[in-house]
Amino acid sequence: MPHHKLAAGIPCRICSLPFALPRSSAPTRSVPKETLTSEMNAETSDAPPTSLVDRTVVPGDTVLDLTAMASQTIKLGAGLRQDCDTISVMKAGKLRLSKPNKYWVESSHKRYVPCVEDTVLGIVVDCKPDNFLVDIKAPTLAFLPVLAFEGGTRRNIPKFEIGTLLYVRVVKANNSMNPELSCVDETGKASEFGQLKDGYMFETSTGLSRMLLSSPTCPVLEALGKSLSYEIAVGLNGRVWVNASSPSTVILVSNAIMNSESLSGVQQKIMVEKLMQRLQ
Amino acid sequence: MGAMTVDRADGRSVNQLRPLACSRNILHRAHGSARWSQGDTIVLAAVYGPKAGTKKGENPEKASIEVIWKPKTGQIGKLEKEYEMILKRTLQSICLMTIHPNTTTSIIVQVFGDDGALLPCAINASCAALVDAGIPLKHLAVAICCGFTEGGSVILDPTKAEEQKIQAFAYLVFPNSPLSVLPSAPSAEVDGPIENGIITSVTHGVMPVVDYFNCLERGRAACAKISEFHRRSLESQVPGDLTKAT
Repeated sequence: MPHHKLAAGIPCRICSLPFALPRSSAPTRSVPKETLTSEMNAETSDAPPTSLVDRTVVPGDTVLDLTAMASQTIKLGAGLRQDCDTISVMKAGKLRLSKPNKYWVESSHKRYVPCVEDTVLGIVVDCKPDNFLVDIKAPTLAFLPVLAFEGGTRRNIPKFEIGTLLYVRVVKANNSMNPELSCVDETGKASEFGQLKDGYMFETSTGLSRMLLSSPTCPVLEALGKSLSYEIAVGLNGRVWVNASSPSTVILVSNAIMNSESLSGVQQKIMVEKLMQRLQ
Repeated sequence: MGAMTVDRADGRSVNQLRPLACSRNILHRAHGSARWSQGDTIVLAAVYGPKAGTKKGENPEKASIEVIWKPKTGQIGKLEKEYEMILKRTLQSICLMTIHPNTTTSIIVQVFGDDGALLPCAINASCAALVDAGIPLKHLAVAICCGFTEGGSVILDPTKAEEQKIQAFAYLVFPNSPLSVLPSAPSAEVDGPIENGIITSVTHGVMPVVDYFNCLERGRAACAKISEFHRRSLESQVPGDLTKAT
């Protein structure tokens, strides 16, 4: 296929497909580039001479020069935007690169930017005929259709009161529309989605949520699991729900998680051991 | 112009700034907060948002910003309203307003101490709080106060006593100096010190035009230092790499 230089733009394609990464990061947003039409496979080219990858970047920093990367597909994640011929930073954080071509800025905040296929904890704020209005700590309220449940029909609409805590999945997320949620997975099964009864919910930052969901298991959860039995639901929007048989266990698990944000793996284990000693 | 050394009360040279301190994420309930101090001028800024809905007169196709200024003592008057308006316009030019349409971001500025250069301190604190809250920004805003004395020399970051004695002063806000992987533009020297542009300029008093441009030059150079301080304070707050690939 001939590789043609377009009159106004640069022969480089910015891809808008969502992608899920093993650890932190959110799927991409679409980056409109109206001058690109050629369908080229990604050819690996040399990285820019000085690279800001794995360094702290600040809004305004330019991280990629598109003129130097001809005919490549680049995927942009959270915190980056396209500014004519360059990619610049919108949020402060650490710039990450997942080879060959996925860039994003890793940062931790108290609010959440909805992305498709994220699992979050939402609180019902209102019930409408067609949707539940659910608060997921995003810039706008999210809609949960009343039929988005396993075996959901007009006859068996669940009755959620205002204040109900739900574990849901984000289905649609655009910046200009309210996000849409669902209580079923892709195959149509309920699979743990739905109302979370009993237990205790607390709010943390999105960075801590990602750490709790990382694989291999987060050190604090592993250390707690060695001696206590509890169940936990972590939402990527910074909400965590803990349930155990006795209130003291719930309090201990919640405190351990809240204290573990800025600690390393070894420090987390030591902190959990100290808390366990106080319980005995 | 002859180099006139000005004796400043606290022993600083003409180009020396007061000690800067910045701490982030201090308020538990606010989505972003920062406390910025320059000497004895201390300002705390808190950011809430983005929240759904815009005010009546605002354009729903863009995000909107509202600023509330709380003075240390006394009732809210015209001066506070003026500060709110200047702060709102400055922050509107650095925020990306089209990312989250039909939302409102509220910034509340509380003055803890006022010892000169209050508005620049508030702008620096608000910008740090916006970064802490994760609001998408084009670049950072770095603010400084330049005073023009009767002797004809430009002093930076005057205290309140100095502000009352000098002939004129200007609050200047510049974009920060970014890191870039691009090769630096060859025309940087040709454009002079304002190659990256200026966001806001508020002047009080009377000064000649030539000296105003002199103030701009000095202010720009000092803002590079403040911008460097801002970047370092952000680096130290990034949490440990627990999510790094092992």
